[in-house]
Amino acid sequence: MEELKEICDDQIRVIGEGASKKPLPRRVWIVILTVLGIVIAGVIILIVSLYKAEQARKLTIPEPALFEPVEVQETVEHTWIGESIDSLATGYTEMKDTLINDIPMRIFIPHNAELSLHIGKMNKEDKSVIYTAQAADVRADNGGIVGAFVLKGEPRAWGLSKKGFCASINGEVTMGVAENSPLFEKATEEGGYFFRQYPLVSNGKVVENELKGKSIRRAICDRRGEVFMVETGTIESFHDFAQALVDLGVDQAVSLVGSSAYGWAVDNAGTMHEFGEDNYYTGRRRMPKNTSYIVWRRKQ
Amino acid sequence: MKKQLVISTSIDLVRIAPERIVYIASDGNYSTLVQTDNEVRMLSYQLGQIEKMISSQLGSEGNIFIRIGKSLIINRSYIYYINIPKQKLILSDVVSFNHTVTASKEALKQLKELIEKETK
Repeated sequence: MEELKEICDDQIRVIGEGASKKPLPRRVWIVILTVLGIVIAGVIILIVSLYKAEQARKLTIPEPALFEPVEVQETVEHTWIGESIDSLATGYTEMKDTLINDIPMRIFIPHNAELSLHIGKMNKEDKSVIYTAQAADVRADNGGIVGAFVLKGEPRAWGLSKKGFCASINGEVTMGVAENSPLFEKATEEGGYFFRQYPLVSNGKVVENELKGKSIRRAICDRRGEVFMVETGTIESFHDFAQALVDLGVDQAVSLVGSSAYGWAVDNAGTMHEFGEDNYYTGRRRMPKNTSYIVWRRKQ
Repeated sequence: MKKQLVISTSIDLVRIAPERIVYIASDGNYSTLVQTDNEVRMLSYQLGQIEKMISSQLGSEGNIFIRIGKSLIINRSYIYYINIPKQKLILSDVVSFNHTVTASKEALKQLKELIEKETK
């Protein structure tokens, strides 16, 4: 029997209002509960499928960002041009032939060697040399070296006819473009080497030179700290050569004496590979006494 | 068939149509049922128990009865006169019976408002 609330003398209550109606038959309750169960199951399935669809959508469509997404480029591991060798191995020059912008180029990568300069004829019997090529130009009028030149701390020439420079001080090779470089003084003070030549590449960009004409081109280059020399297999303009070096990934490059200027490289088998003309200065043609060379010697 | 109110004890049973009840008054542990034929019947149930019986047996049809305070259940069909200051309620069919009962002013006021509200 339904419990009724207590009543006070000041209250009235209509009897029967709110009284529970006759309970539904059991089979009606079964039908209602079955339908309710089906509806609940349907709702759950719908919610789950919507959730899965939303998850799939999230996987395919990026979330709207508050800020423009910043594309993080994958770090591309730098690859050296030259091979990696043991630091105690005997020095040699690795040579690689490549073709850039239809320009055949030979790359000379010195290993376990140190850069110095030399003035005068090179001694081919000097087995410590693994690479040499003519460095600074020589004046036609008086046979002097064009541009500032420091040989083992001794200034041998002064002047700024070419803005490119290359220095080797305490085993560290630096090249660049500058009218005044403190490296000249530093090379002088610390027994280093310094010379000037036409700049070809500065900070990864071509340096335009007024010099026209085509020739076999040579250069000393710095590519992310890897120093090597390049020689074209065909005659090229300064611009095309410099552009090819840029495309090679060179950061800094300074020209070396091109054309038939003599030099050689010694590979890891000890074989000497000469380039240019060794017999150019024969007969009446005499080699200028201030002919200079970059010389890579094996580290002791 | 209209529902009838059945009040039974261990030894007897009363079966009466709701419209034949004028009012039921509390009398201690007993209740007094006044019929439209002016007969008065003593029931061995408290008024609260009678109210529960009406509610459970008649359901919504039990709403012809109104509990007023602790000591009265009236049949609203026979409300004839309400006087709040005098705390006077007359239940009558204006033909054969006329019963005067008393209730609190507040209860009568609420009853008056209920009747007024239902007639609007």
